[in-house]
Amino acid sequence: MVVVVSVAPVEQEQTESDLQVDPDVPWITLVWNDPVNLMSYVTWVFRTHFGYDKEKATRLMMDVHEKGRAVVSTGPKEQMELDTEAMQGYGLWATFQKDD
Amino acid sequence: MARAFSRRRGRLVAHLDRSERAVVGQLAEQVLELIEPAAGAPTPREGVAEGSEDGFDAIVAGIGQLSTDVGEPAPERSTGLEEDRDPALDRLFPAGHREDPEAAREFRRLTEPGLRSRKAANLRTVVQVMERGSGNPADPDRLSLDEGEAIAVLVGLTDIRLVMGERLGLRTDEDAERLDRVAADLDGEDPAAFAVMLYDFLTWLQESLGRALSGDF
Repeated sequence: MVVVVSVAPVEQEQTESDLQVDPDVPWITLVWNDPVNLMSYVTWVFRTHFGYDKEKATRLMMDVHEKGRAVVSTGPKEQMELDTEAMQGYGLWATFQKDD
Repeated sequence: MARAFSRRRGRLVAHLDRSERAVVGQLAEQVLELIEPAAGAPTPREGVAEGSEDGFDAIVAGIGQLSTDVGEPAPERSTGLEEDRDPALDRLFPAGHREDPEAAREFRRLTEPGLRSRKAANLRTVVQVMERGSGNPADPDRLSLDEGEAIAVLVGLTDIRLVMGERLGLRTDEDAERLDRVAADLDGEDPAAFAVMLYDFLTWLQESLGRALSGDF
């Protein structure tokens, strides 16, 4: 992703609690890193579509940027397909898959 | 001379001069042409400038020097596709499943028509607002968007940058750094330098709109 001037420093707290997967809902939506999408835009998309607060949206964005991908939602397959479609509508490369 | 977006009384306001608006509108039309053919019933659009093909194409044709190392498009983006198609389309409508071609095919069948029409609607909004005058002769460069238009423009600018990025061979963060280095060494008259400058302008514009929309300065 692209940093454009004056991106506020981000707390690099590596919590996993938000991303732990409920064993009963074994599907996930992944967003993959790309060099075009802006960090501020990706954060905005996560806040707008999922309603995540700024902190969580920023942390997921940083995961995408630094680890190459992030799990942005978990749940039933149908919901993951909807989330994937929505992310692609925003120009992010999202995929869904069974969590393994 | 462009001035960044800011929020003014509930609207998103920037300043773009005629040539800046023209080039953004033209790029939006180029991407529209790329995505609309398979969108169902193609309707002839008015206002597509004669010879508009040479806008984007000429710009990207000038990047020969950069094209030597643009590399191969990411194959996993086209998982489940039977035929080869413009890699920019694979960037706009990538596989929804990386490993399972059947799932990717089914996802594409179900979602791509809707995605195409939504992206087309955003791009048409970009074209419209760029063609719209400010209504104030004393302030002709003023571009004032309501919230809905601003979101459409924000997403539309993303799709334009994705297509330009694909043409410029931007697929990894390292590519972006390489492009910056290459561009810095180019002659200012070089069409490739112009393409990179344009891409950077769109990046700046989108960043400023996104920040103004999220109230994040």
